[in-house]
Amino acid sequence: MMSSNKKILICDDDEGILDVLQLILEETGHTIISEINSLNVKSLIDRQSPDLVIIDLWMPVLSGDQILQMIRNHPDYKNLPVIVISASRDGKEIADHAQATAFIAKPFDYDQLLETVEKILN
Amino acid sequence: MATFQDGKFALSGDSLIENFDLLTIALDSSISGIVITDNRLPDNPIIYCNVAFENISGYRRNEIIGHNCRFLQADDRNQEVRETLAAAIKNGDSTNVEIRNYRKNGDLFWNELYMAPVKDSEGKVTHFIGVQNDITARKKVEHDLRQQKALMEKKIDERTLALRDSEAFLTSIIETVREGLLVLDPKFNVISANYYFLKTFKVTLEETVGKELYALGNNQWDIPQLRELLVKILPTNNPVVDFEVEHDFPHIGRKLMLLNAYRIELEGQFKDQILLAIEDITDRKEIERRKDDFLSIASHELKTPLTTIKGYLQVLERTMPDDASEKFGSTLGKVSKYVERLNNLIAELLDVSRIQTGNIELHHADFDFDRMINEVVDGFQASAHDHKIVLTGHTNAIVNADETHIIQVLNNLLSNAIKYAPQSKQVDLNISNVSEFVKVSVKDYGIGMNAEDKKRIFERFYRGSDIQKRFPGMGIGLYICDQIIKNHNGTLWVESEKGKGSTFSFTLPKKGKNNDEQQ
Repeated sequence: MMSSNKKILICDDDEGILDVLQLILEETGHTIISEINSLNVKSLIDRQSPDLVIIDLWMPVLSGDQILQMIRNHPDYKNLPVIVISASRDGKEIADHAQATAFIAKPFDYDQLLETVEKILN
Repeated sequence: MATFQDGKFALSGDSLIENFDLLTIALDSSISGIVITDNRLPDNPIIYCNVAFENISGYRRNEIIGHNCRFLQADDRNQEVRETLAAAIKNGDSTNVEIRNYRKNGDLFWNELYMAPVKDSEGKVTHFIGVQNDITARKKVEHDLRQQKALMEKKIDERTLALRDSEAFLTSIIETVREGLLVLDPKFNVISANYYFLKTFKVTLEETVGKELYALGNNQWDIPQLRELLVKILPTNNPVVDFEVEHDFPHIGRKLMLLNAYRIELEGQFKDQILLAIEDITDRKEIERRKDDFLSIASHELKTPLTTIKGYLQVLERTMPDDASEKFGSTLGKVSKYVERLNNLIAELLDVSRIQTGNIELHHADFDFDRMINEVVDGFQASAHDHKIVLTGHTNAIVNADETHIIQVLNNLLSNAIKYAPQSKQVDLNISNVSEFVKVSVKDYGIGMNAEDKKRIFERFYRGSDIQKRFPGMGIGLYICDQIIKNHNGTLWVESEKGKGSTFSFTLPKKGKNNDEQQ
């Protein structure tokens, strides 16, 4: 499980979710960068070059699908793996439409989350 | 005159008497009563009457001769025609009147009387000849006819009044309904428009009635969907029910309208006229949409802390020290179970709102029915330690349906079977093929239900009469199951007896509902 160290960028506007995501993902041994303000995601990707981005959908100002669209339209990041996690009932359709690598519904399952992350990173 | 020859009265008889007798017989053969009065004598008495007059009046000759004619009027002396008669007698004129006379036995008869004067060489009236006809029968017919006519006129008046009444009644209905109503002729010209139509679309009666529908208000009704409804759909599908049209109106903005159209097929003056009812459902749809949005946001907001709780719990479970007490572990397990229940409740609420707004989406795909059943049973058995689920039968069927939804139904029926049978240990699950359907039955040995509950058990928010306090729940699980199975063109039903458990069964078409419709 503890393969080579990768960087995972997580962004959710809810502090609790962000914290629990970090707690679970730390199990992977990868470096976790967590961000509560979706407006900072773009510059964090630029500076930190994460291997995986996990984003929520409904966030103020800049929504998850807008970030995803930005990533997919960027020549350097268009292949960057992005997992969308959402409690929205049409979350999966929005994620698919915006070309997310994977979608996980809230409330997510511990094992399912780790499995999906590892599958993408390996 | 032919009766005078050489200054002598002569017919064919040889003597005056013979000829006179002949004339008398002729007079007696007449069906008209004939009298002669002598105007020169006081009170103008009758000096001659024929047989017919006796027959008409019922009096004998000896009772007639010498009397004035007025005896026929008995006590009925206030007839206007008497003045006509009196004037004619006074002036020596002839006249013709209809007068009420009375027979000897008192019976009324209508007498049509011709009266003519006989004058001497000096023009003085010597006699009057009265010819009488009993016209009682004709009078009766005339009277009956008049009565009939009067009756008819009365009836017509009544019907006219009733029609006017019902027209006013209909108009008041049409003007009261909160729905725009247009009546169109076969060429789509507006014959009438009700108040609500005018109000909704901010137009006047003058600019509406008599105009072609499509030309109304700067062609604002020239809507392709409306043309399609009236020209293509209505002629073959009468009436057209609940046809939704969305259109941007120049003055009132975008409106969502529900149209109901009916073409009059009854032969008569209204044939082929079109009734077009227009309901503005913009606001209603907006409210539905907002409610839908609200439920969607509410469930999202509820799920967010739930996600956090579930995440922390799972972290706790996985970081539980090896030497933690059994109590610690089982408590964590129970918290997990209730978090899951809360999650299901939120999901159900969302399902109800989706069904309400018709947003339930089915994703049909082929799947192995028996495999799905086995997986559900295994999954269920793992968490239901006190009950044994006994699966019998098999279908070997590949079913085209929304697997996730069918699993939801099964889970719901199984958890009900356990929930409402706390005293028993077993739930029977049977699957089988029935014609082009698969059938699933879930039988429990629990509390069962009475007939009233059975009738209403699939209603939204309905909860059995005596389970309200004993078992928690919102009364939406079975409603959702029923809706899901209905959406698949299957049926869900229950057989139950109070105290003896319940069997919930559903059927599902193997080919899915879309394939069915194409055939």
